[in-house]
Amino acid sequence: MHIDYSQEAPAIAGRLTISQIEELVARPLDTKPDRKYFIALSISGSLLLLGAICLGISFYYGIGLWGNNQPVGWAVPIVNFVFWVGIGHAGTLISAILFLLRQKWRTGIARFAEAMTIFAVICAGIFPIIHTGRPWLAGYLIPYPNQHSLWVNFTSPLLWDVFAVSTYFTVSLVFWYIGLIPDFATLRDRTTSKLKKTIYSIFSLGWRHSSRHWQHYEKAYMLLAGFATPLVLSVHTIVSFDFAVSILPGWHTTIFPPYFVAGAIFSGFAMVVTVLVFVRKIFNLENIITLDHLEKMNKVILATGMMVGYAYGMEFFIAWYSGVQAEQFVFINRAFGPYAWAYWIMVSCNVIFPQLFWFRKFRRSIPVMFVIVILVNVGMWFERFVITVTSLHRDFLPSSWAYYKPTFFDMGILLGSFGLFFTLVILFTKSLPVVSISEVKAVADGAQPTHRGGHHE
Amino acid sequence: MHQTDFNYQRKDLPAGFSKFGLIFLVVGLILAAASFFVDQTRAAFNYLVIYMMIVSIALGSLFLIALEYVAGADWSTPFRRIPEFFAGLLPVLFILVIPLLFLNHDLFHWAHEEAVKEDKILQGKAPYLNISFFVIRTLVFIAIWVLFYFILQRNSKKQDTTKDQSLTTKNIRFSAAFIPIFALTITFTAVDWLMSLEPHWFSTIFGVYFFSGTVIAALAAVTLVVVILKEKGYFDPWITDDHLYSFGALLFAFVNFWAYIAFSQFMLIWYADLPEETFWYLTRWEGSWVIFSLLLIVIHFIVPYAMLLSQPAKMDPKRLKFISIWLLFAHLFDLFWLVMPNMQPLKKGYVFSWIDLVFPILGIGIVLTVFNFISKKENLIPVGDPKLKKGINFHL
Amino acid sequence: MNKKLYGLAALFKTPDEIIEVAKKTSAAGYQKYDIHSPYPVHGIERAMKLKPSKLGFITLVFGLTGSALALLLMYWTMSVDYPMIIGGKPFFALPAFIPITFEVTVLLATLATVIGMITFFFRFPENDHPLHDTDYMKKVSCDHYGLVIEAKDKLFDEAKVLEFLNSLKPESIEEIYYPEKETYPVLEPKFVTFLIIIAVVTSGITYFALNKLLYMQPFTWMMEQPKLNPQKPSTLFADGFGMRTPVQGTVARGFLPYPYMGQNNPTEFLQNPYLPTKENLQLGEQKYLTFCSPCHGNFGDGDSRLRGQFPNPPSLHSTRAREFSDGMIYHIITNGQNIMPSYASQVTREERWAIVNYIRVLQRAKNAKSSDLQVVNKETGNNASN
Repeated sequence: MHIDYSQEAPAIAGRLTISQIEELVARPLDTKPDRKYFIALSISGSLLLLGAICLGISFYYGIGLWGNNQPVGWAVPIVNFVFWVGIGHAGTLISAILFLLRQKWRTGIARFAEAMTIFAVICAGIFPIIHTGRPWLAGYLIPYPNQHSLWVNFTSPLLWDVFAVSTYFTVSLVFWYIGLIPDFATLRDRTTSKLKKTIYSIFSLGWRHSSRHWQHYEKAYMLLAGFATPLVLSVHTIVSFDFAVSILPGWHTTIFPPYFVAGAIFSGFAMVVTVLVFVRKIFNLENIITLDHLEKMNKVILATGMMVGYAYGMEFFIAWYSGVQAEQFVFINRAFGPYAWAYWIMVSCNVIFPQLFWFRKFRRSIPVMFVIVILVNVGMWFERFVITVTSLHRDFLPSSWAYYKPTFFDMGILLGSFGLFFTLVILFTKSLPVVSISEVKAVADGAQPTHRGGHHE
Repeated sequence: MHQTDFNYQRKDLPAGFSKFGLIFLVVGLILAAASFFVDQTRAAFNYLVIYMMIVSIALGSLFLIALEYVAGADWSTPFRRIPEFFAGLLPVLFILVIPLLFLNHDLFHWAHEEAVKEDKILQGKAPYLNISFFVIRTLVFIAIWVLFYFILQRNSKKQDTTKDQSLTTKNIRFSAAFIPIFALTITFTAVDWLMSLEPHWFSTIFGVYFFSGTVIAALAAVTLVVVILKEKGYFDPWITDDHLYSFGALLFAFVNFWAYIAFSQFMLIWYADLPEETFWYLTRWEGSWVIFSLLLIVIHFIVPYAMLLSQPAKMDPKRLKFISIWLLFAHLFDLFWLVMPNMQPLKKGYVFSWIDLVFPILGIGIVLTVFNFISKKENLIPVGDPKLKKGINFHL
Repeated sequence: MNKKLYGLAALFKTPDEIIEVAKKTSAAGYQKYDIHSPYPVHGIERAMKLKPSKLGFITLVFGLTGSALALLLMYWTMSVDYPMIIGGKPFFALPAFIPITFEVTVLLATLATVIGMITFFFRFPENDHPLHDTDYMKKVSCDHYGLVIEAKDKLFDEAKVLEFLNSLKPESIEEIYYPEKETYPVLEPKFVTFLIIIAVVTSGITYFALNKLLYMQPFTWMMEQPKLNPQKPSTLFADGFGMRTPVQGTVARGFLPYPYMGQNNPTEFLQNPYLPTKENLQLGEQKYLTFCSPCHGNFGDGDSRLRGQFPNPPSLHSTRAREFSDGMIYHIITNGQNIMPSYASQVTREERWAIVNYIRVLQRAKNAKSSDLQVVNKETGNNASN
C-alpha cells in the first residue's frame, strides 16, 4: 500500500463531470421501478403488515399480551426505542458534525443517512407511545393549559424524551428539506412530466440557484449544523438519562451519556453501511459512494466500537471499585447470570468482531464489512436488551426475581418496525434523489475555481 | 491550485521564553521549597495540582499529535512541532512525580494503614489502592507515554531531512495504537491521582471528565504559543484566518464537551441523590467552596463559551491569546477544585494561604524551561512532512 | 413589443470564468445583478462584494427567546401554578430543567432561522419569477454558471449592457422577459376542487375520530373492563349475587365491633376515655362542624336550615341533653336515635369521643355561670370587670 500524503484524495471517483453526476443521481427518478423493486417492497411491506396486526391486537386486548411484567416492566419496547433512536444518530452526525469538520466525503452519503435518520426516528417514536397502552391519549404529554389544571412533570426524563425526540425529528426534517431545495429546483428544470414539474416546483419554493441566496443558504446550513451537533448528542444523552437518573444498579452510572452517544453513532454508522452497500450497487453509485467512503465509515465504527468497549470495561471496574454490593452483584449477574448469553452476544458483536477493522483489507472488503455491520446491529440491539432487562430482572427483592421472555407480539412489533423502516427507505430511493446533487457537484473535479477568492466568511 | 511558495528559515524562539522560564523556575523552586517547611500537606496538595496540570499539557499534546495523524488532518501539520515540544514534558514527569510518590501519606487517605483497617470499603479496594501497585502503575504509565513520545517525535524529526513518506505511515500506525492505550492510561491516572483522593467516591465518567479538561489545556497551550509566534512573525506570510479559526473552533468544541461531561456527571449524581456519591459534591458545596463551584461554571464554560461563540471571534488573534490563557487558568482552577477540598483542614471551606499562589509560578517555570530546552535546536515547522504544503495552503 | 424586459442573461462554462465575471460586474458598478450556479461557488460572495449574511442574528434572538420561554414556563408551572415535591427536589430544580431548555432553544432557533431565511431573505415561495422556465434557468440548474443584469438597475441600458456582456465572452446571451399576462394558478378550478376535497376529508376524519371512534373499543377510556362492579350479578356463585356477605364474625380493618347496637341505654358500660385536651377539642370541633352541625346547628341550638322541614332537630342545650352522660351521647352518635341515623361508619371511635367532649364545651358555654367568668378572667389576666 502506498499513499501520497501530499495529494488530496478526490471526494468522488471516476472523474465524473457535473452533468454526469446529475444524470446518475436523477436516473432512478426518471425510470419506472422494476420487478426487483416490487419484490423488495412486498417483503418489507409484509413485515410492516405483521407489525401492524400485532399492534392492533395489542391495542384491542391490551399490552398484557407483551412479555413485560414485574419486575421487568421495561423490556423489548424500550429496547426497540433506544435501538432505533441510536440508528437515527448517524444521519445528523454525518450531515452536521462532518460538515463542521469539513469532511468532503460526507457529501455522497449525507442525504441517504439523513433520510435514514428521519425514518429511524419515526420507528423509534412509535415505541414509547405504544408503551403507554393508550397511544391516542399521547397529547397529554404536551404541556398545554387544560381544564384539569395539570401540568406535565418537567423534571421527568421521560418528558425530556418527548421534547428531545420531537425536536430532533423536526430539526432533522428541516435540515433534510433545506438540503433538498436546490435538488428539487434541479429536478424541476430537467423533468418533462407536467405533474412532476408541479410537485417539484412546489417543493423547490421557486429556488433559482442565485448566488445571493446561496450565501444565506450556506450560512443557514452552517448554523443548522452548529445546532444539530449538540442536538444529536443531547438526544441520546437524554435517552440515557431515562435509565441513569434512577437509583437502579446497572442503570445509574455517570458514564451513560457519552457511552450511549458513542453507541448510537456506532449502531447508526453500521446501519448506514448496511444499506449503502446495496444502494451503491443497485443505483450504480460506486463512483459517488466510493469504497474510500465506506472505509472511512468503518474506521468510525472501529473507533466508536472501542469507546463502547471502554464503557463496558469502566462500568465493570467501577462496580468493583465502588465497593457497593448491589452494583457488584448486577455486573456479575450480567456476565454470568441467566442472561449471560445476551451479554456475551453483545460483547462479541460490539467489541470483538469490529476489531477486524484494524486491517485495511477487511475495511475495504464489501462481504466482510457487511457481515461485521450486521453483527454490530445485532450487538447493539442486545446491548440495550442487556442494560434494560438484566438490571431489572433481579432487583433488590430476591423474592420477585424472574426470567423475562418476549412474546410473539413483542417480536412481531419489532419486525414490523424493520418493515416500516425499509418500506420508507425503499420508497425514498425511487421518489427523491438519494444523493445530494448540488453538494456532490460542488466537490466534483473542476467544480471550484482554481484561484480561490479568499477565505470562508 | 494556487500555492504559496514556502522556504523555511530556522529561527530561534523569542528570548522571552528562556528568560521568563528561568526566572519563574528559580523563584518557583525557592518558594515551593519554603512552603514545604511551612505546611507540608498543603504544599503536597498544591504540588499535585501543578503536577496534574503538567500531565494535562504534556499528555494532551501527545494526544493532539496522534489525533492529527489518525484523522489525516492537514491544517494543523505546520504547527505540529508545538505540541511535540510540549509533549517533551513527558520524560520530565519521571522526575516530577518522585516527590509525590514520597508524599503519598499526606495525600491519600487510603495510604494510612490504620484507616484501612477500620474501613470495610477501603479493605475491598486494597488490591487496587495500595502503595506498591500504585507506584508501579504510575511509573509504567509514564514509561508508555514516553515511549510513544519518542517514537512519534523521532519519526517526525527524521522526516525533516529524509522527507520519507513511509514515516508518516508509520506514525499513523503508532498513533492508532496509542489512542486506545491513551484512553486507558489517562483514565487510570485520573482515578489514581484525583478520584482516589476521596477513596470512597466513584464515578464512571471521571476519566472522560479529566480527558476533556486535558485536551482543553493542551489545545490552549498550543494555541497560545501559535498566536504568540504568529504575532512575532514566525509563521508569515502563509498563516491565515482559517488556521486560527480551526484552533478557535476546536477550543470552542472542547469547552462545550467539557461542559457536557461535567453536567452529565453532576446531574446524574444530583438527581439520583445516593449518599455514597452525593457527598463528593456536598464537600464542594461546603462553606466557601460553593463559591469555587459556581465560579468553575463561569470560568470553565460561560465566559469561554460567550467569547468564542461568534465566527469572527474564533479567528481573532487577540481574543484567542486571551482565551488560551484564560482556559489554561480554567483547567488549573478545575484541578484545584478537584484536589483541594480533599485536604482534611479545608473540608469545611476554603482558607487562603500564600502557598496556593506559589505553585503555579513553579509550573509556568517548568513548562517554559522544558519547552525552550527541547525546541532549541529543532525546526519550528515539520519541513519534511508531506502534508505540510496542504496544511499551509489550507482554506476552509 | 408588449413584453417587458426583466434583464439580460449570459451563460458561462467554468467556475473560473464566473469569478472573473462577478468581479468585473461589481467593478462596473451594477447593483441589481445576480450570479447563478448549480451549487455554491467558493469565493463568489467576495467577488460579488456581498455583505456577510445577517441570518445569525435571527438565530441568536430566537434561540435566547426559546431558552427564556422554556425556563419561564417550567418555573411557572413547577414552582408557582402547581408546586409539587418530586423526588425531594426543589420546586425550581434548575439542573433538571436544562435538557428541556436546551431542546426548546434549538427548536426555536432552527425553525426561526429556516423560516426567516425562506420568507424574509428569499421572499419564497416565488414560482412565478421571470427566470423560471427559461433556457437560462435550465442551464444554470445543471452545469452552467450565469450572470443576469436586471433592467431595474440604475445603469441599465440595453445596448451598453449587451456590449458589456459580450466583452465577457459568454457562451450565450439571452433576453429575459416578464410573462405577458399574469396567471393565478391558485384560482384554477382543478386546484380549488383539490382544496375542497382535502378540507372535506380532513374535517370528516376529525369528526369521525372525535365523535365516533373514541366511543368504540378499545378507545373507550377503559370503560369495559373484566372486573365485577358493585351490585352486579355474577355467574360464578350459585345464588347469582356478585357481592358476598362476609363470613360471620368478620371485622373490618380499623373498626372495633360495637356491642350495644340497637339497645336503649347501655351507658353504664361506656366511659369517656379521652381528656378534653386542646388537640382533642379541635378534632371534636372539626368533626362536629362536618357531621353534626348540618342538623344541630353550628352551636348545637338545633337552628340549622333543616328547621321546619323535618321534625325539628333537637337543641343540645336542653336540660335533658345536658344531663345525658358522655356514654349516652356517644351511644346516640353510634347507634342513632329516632330519625337520626347511625354515624358509626363515618366517624371513628376516637372522633366520636372528641365530638362528645366538644358538645360538652358547647353546653357549658351556653349555660355559663358567673364562677366560670372568674376563671376566664383569671386565666386571661383580665381583671377589669371585677
